[in-house]
Amino acid sequence: MSELLVPFEYNYMLRAMWVSALVGGLGAFLSAYLMLKGWSLMGDALSHAVVPGVAIAYLMQLPYAAGAFFAGIIAAFGMWGIRHVTRLKEDAVIGVVFTAFFAAGLFIASLYPIPVSIQSIVLGNILGIADEDVVQVVVVAAVALAILLVTWKDLMLVFFDESHARAVGLNPVALKVLFFALLSASAVTALQTVGAALVVATVITPGATAYLLTDRFGRLLALSVAIGVSTSFVGAYVSFFLDGATGGVIVTLQTLVFLTAFVFAPKHGILAARRRTRAAGEAPQP
Amino acid sequence: MTAAIWDFFALPLSFPFMQRALLVAVLVGAVAAVLSCYLVLKGWSLMGDAISHAVLPGIVLAYVVGLPLSAGAFLAGLTCATLTGYLKENSRVREDTVMGIVFSGMFGFGLVLFTKVETEQHLNHVLFGNLLGVTDSELTEIIVVAAVVLVAVLIRRRDLLLYCFDQQHARAIGLRVGWLYYGLLALLSLAIVASLKAVGIILVVAMLVAPGATAYLVSRRFERMLVIAILVAVFSSVAGTLLSFHLDAATGPSIVLLQAALFVLALIHTWVQRTRTSAEHATTDQLATG
Repeated sequence: MSELLVPFEYNYMLRAMWVSALVGGLGAFLSAYLMLKGWSLMGDALSHAVVPGVAIAYLMQLPYAAGAFFAGIIAAFGMWGIRHVTRLKEDAVIGVVFTAFFAAGLFIASLYPIPVSIQSIVLGNILGIADEDVVQVVVVAAVALAILLVTWKDLMLVFFDESHARAVGLNPVALKVLFFALLSASAVTALQTVGAALVVATVITPGATAYLLTDRFGRLLALSVAIGVSTSFVGAYVSFFLDGATGGVIVTLQTLVFLTAFVFAPKHGILAARRRTRAAGEAPQP
Repeated sequence: MTAAIWDFFALPLSFPFMQRALLVAVLVGAVAAVLSCYLVLKGWSLMGDAISHAVLPGIVLAYVVGLPLSAGAFLAGLTCATLTGYLKENSRVREDTVMGIVFSGMFGFGLVLFTKVETEQHLNHVLFGNLLGVTDSELTEIIVVAAVVLVAVLIRRRDLLLYCFDQQHARAIGLRVGWLYYGLLALLSLAIVASLKAVGIILVVAMLVAPGATAYLVSRRFERMLVIAILVAVFSSVAGTLLSFHLDAATGPSIVLLQAALFVLALIHTWVQRTRTSAEHATTDQLATG
């Protein structure tokens, strides 16, 4: 029994759990918007696109978050520009841009030795995170969450009823830019916990799970954040016993929660759907 | 000058491992380029992303059971594709979201397995590839897979084109759409499994998008698009491998960056043409009104 409490005796474990929970909550908050809007793979694209920024920032000894953020914004503008000039489909545009950025990151890292391994950027390394990186993650995540708490209703209006949003005097373009900035911030923080390869899960899976459990947006947000925070916290905790792969554990947990909801959700799960079709099949015979 | 150019080619090619790397890069690049043309038309550019991540648990499990790693990877890739289809049909979550959930879940699970199972595979090689360390048996495998995929696509190229371009029409004239769907997925998984050792999970994705997207910008005819995509890929593979040798840089990323550079050239070409045609329209309008 006392073995289960061992992780709580280590400072680095406590820190890993709280930071993961914070970052997981931020990603989950954004996931509610992303998956309803059909932008799910934007999260994947941005998280890979920030890698060259991280490499350059480490190289020049700048804060890694600044470099990542900058690269993310350039990638987003690049995708937007290519969309406007060509008749290529959106998925192809996303694919070309993020893989090129990612390759640039690997290329830079292979030419110049950077102080962190590229593997810890791609897979995350929250158990071995440096102190100054913790500060950056917490500051970025806290600011992003604060902005979200203030603007979540405006964002909701802009995303799902733009004409109404305009009518009440909101600026849709500014709010969308703000959203992408927040998404970049989320990708920047999640690099440390789950790594570039798995950021996509933290910014869609909790939202999609909540979507199977409720029909109201406010509740969806709350559920999604609860799922994101708890799976990230528990995932970091469990990874202590596995000696690593924190990102893998967090994302595996999130996927399992999604699959559970997919089967058992009271209204939108497959068991409920089966029950309904059976009831409908029996009903017509009086 | 000529001596310098001679050295650029001759020096790397005097090493057997470089000759082999060059051969593998060209093969993998060409196969991915052919598939990328169909994927770009079908709107499946990110399917490569999904399948390439999803193969990770397959590799580890195949190692545990004692199967060939490619068999495990292939099965995992197909599992990802079918599971995505199943979850989409049976829930109200959108297809792109489901795809993201499935492939990230499988990749995450693969990472957990990887830390728990002692394999002789290096995670870094699976993630980033190891073009310079391709073994003889891997080379044979790549050649066989490349031949199979190329021949299969060549035989069915018209059916596949119709399927990618207009699925309803393909169904209406009596093509077996289901077979084409799974056939294309299987070819894609096969190509990814073969390229994995050379360029790694994440850069396979680039090779499965960029050449097709570049060719799509330059050509409106499919045959020409195929040829251009293959040329783009082969040029990038040769130049990227040689350049990486001289710069002492990672080979996979060098190839992908060259592909991206060619895409940017095509982009500039489209942009210039567009502004020129609109300028011509403007002058003819002026002539007409003036």
